[in-house]
Amino acid sequence: MFDAVQRIIEEIQGAVFETAIQPALFQLGLMDWSEDVFDGVEFALYGALAVALAYILFRPLELWRPVERWDERRAVRTDIVYTLIHRLGVVPAILFVVLAPLGAMIDSYSRFEGYIPPEIEQLVTPLFHHPFATFLVYMVVLDFGEYWRHRLQHRLPWWWALHSVHHDQRQMTLWSDDRNHILDDVLALIWSGTLAMLIGVPPGEYPLLLIGFRLVESLSHTNVQLGFGRIGSTLLVGPQFHRVHHAIEHAAAPYDRSRGCNFAVILPIWDVIFGTWRPVASYPRTGVATLAGPTIRCGYLRHQWEGFRRLFAALAHLVDRRRVDFVAAFPAK
Amino acid sequence: MLFSSRSVVFTLIALLGAASGMPGAAGATTAVVLNSDDDSLSVIDSQNYKEISRTHVGRGPHHLIETRDGRTLIIAMSGSNELVLIDRASGVEKQRVTASDPYQIGFSPDGKWFVAASLRLDHIDIYDGQTYELVHRLPAVSMPSHIAFSPDSKTAFVTLQGTNGLVSIDLASGKVNWAVQVGRTPAGIITRPGGTLLVGVMGSDYVAEVDPATGGIIKKIVTGNGAHNFLLSPDGKRLYVSNRVAGTISVLNADTLEVENTLQAPGGPDDMALSPDGQQLWVTGRWRAWVNVIELASGSLKTVPVGRSPHGIFVY
Repeated sequence: MFDAVQRIIEEIQGAVFETAIQPALFQLGLMDWSEDVFDGVEFALYGALAVALAYILFRPLELWRPVERWDERRAVRTDIVYTLIHRLGVVPAILFVVLAPLGAMIDSYSRFEGYIPPEIEQLVTPLFHHPFATFLVYMVVLDFGEYWRHRLQHRLPWWWALHSVHHDQRQMTLWSDDRNHILDDVLALIWSGTLAMLIGVPPGEYPLLLIGFRLVESLSHTNVQLGFGRIGSTLLVGPQFHRVHHAIEHAAAPYDRSRGCNFAVILPIWDVIFGTWRPVASYPRTGVATLAGPTIRCGYLRHQWEGFRRLFAALAHLVDRRRVDFVAAFPAK
Repeated sequence: MLFSSRSVVFTLIALLGAASGMPGAAGATTAVVLNSDDDSLSVIDSQNYKEISRTHVGRGPHHLIETRDGRTLIIAMSGSNELVLIDRASGVEKQRVTASDPYQIGFSPDGKWFVAASLRLDHIDIYDGQTYELVHRLPAVSMPSHIAFSPDSKTAFVTLQGTNGLVSIDLASGKVNWAVQVGRTPAGIITRPGGTLLVGVMGSDYVAEVDPATGGIIKKIVTGNGAHNFLLSPDGKRLYVSNRVAGTISVLNADTLEVENTLQAPGGPDDMALSPDGQQLWVTGRWRAWVNVIELASGSLKTVPVGRSPHGIFVY
């Protein structure tokens, strides 16, 4: 099944690239980008597949047992725009045009210093015969990195200002995973891309790992009454578990003592280990209590601009503590 | 230099290596193809033109060559930073040698030097051809791609895809003799028996003949859009040029450099190899996950599905 899907993706990738994209690169004098763009096409196709799969698999769940029902879904439509732009356009472009060359530059420098990043199969040789197991090991390590990035997103005021763009959604659905400020996406890619480079993830596999992450994240944002139970919620992040993380009252008991809970992206075990696991069997409302009104119920571009405004407010507060921070600067109306 | 003790046995290659020596197998052709995006190695048998095995070989295999004595195949693994040495007769892996992002590789004609170009990380490594000890590492901006050598083994020529360049390097000192602009996105390069260099100008539709002493362009031979790589026939009479964008192979008279024929090779033709009897040209189709097998007499074409982004090919 997976092989058949993979073969279809490859067929489309090859045909689109050979007949449309390569001739364009040739005419534009950009043939030196051909291999990167070829990989980018694959990434975008898998991204589209992940979006389609998320819709096919998780939308029925939202229709089946939604946590919330809304008459007006404009904010959800904005998240759909987010998903299409970020998964099919912006993120692949940042990844392949900016970060991959930047990573190569750093990697190249390290070679002249005599450092060649280790490959996990060279350290654990039995993995050589099990590429999928290697893939899973990379996923666990990157997930650990994501847990700590997420902790910092909530801990550092300027990063929280950016990350609040993700959290201010009060109509959380399977589309909400990509509701992120563009700078936050860049930081996320730098963070996980650096970790991937350090542990020797082959450049070609990193995009596929990202797509694996995104499918789980789409599920965890789905508007459905679905929990995995006390034991299950230590194994995989699901809708109920992650909804508690998005709780509008997340700064108050019982959800967390101070700055949030249930930070894990795929594996809740990190929350268990580091004391942020809250197996609360409830479906709280989502959002940020101090953010409401047009600044959260708006289109893509305005919402991005709001993210910049919050960031500037947070930075100004950082420089001069007498200034109000971003939450106070943009009170709920 | 690190040598890993991992012992992967390419069983099917081994079997085929044995089978090709069996009575009745005369004329049979075996192709080894590196699937660069699949991290695998495919073996194709000419009995039915089907892929008969696909083996995980490491990360990012791109090119492979044989050693001068023909006993060993060397696979350049750009992703896992190593060279995989396989005994050609038995198909058994002999050794893995750590190397920094080896993409294109080649021995100088006298075997004294082994050169690896790192396309992604912009450097060229010069190794001792016997021990694979690193002797020189040169920055090369940008995208050092294909490699050729002077007949006296003193000089390596490397195309720089990202900066339209061609660089001449003194192998003993690791110093640059000259660097020139040779045309938009240069890729393949070969030293002609006559001594001049030919460079496939992938961003255009021609092959540039270059003076190896100065880097000056002598003439341009139009072949097809995306002129990419070269293969010289064993008798030295024919020169095959893969045109990646046009999806064709130009057959040149190696002496006059006139285009004698154009063959269809769809799918982004890249590396090429001739069957032992010289009747077939095997060409990897980089974008379509297949290998083109062209009957040179008739121009008829078969395509054999393999793994993703097939790049290097070796036929025996």
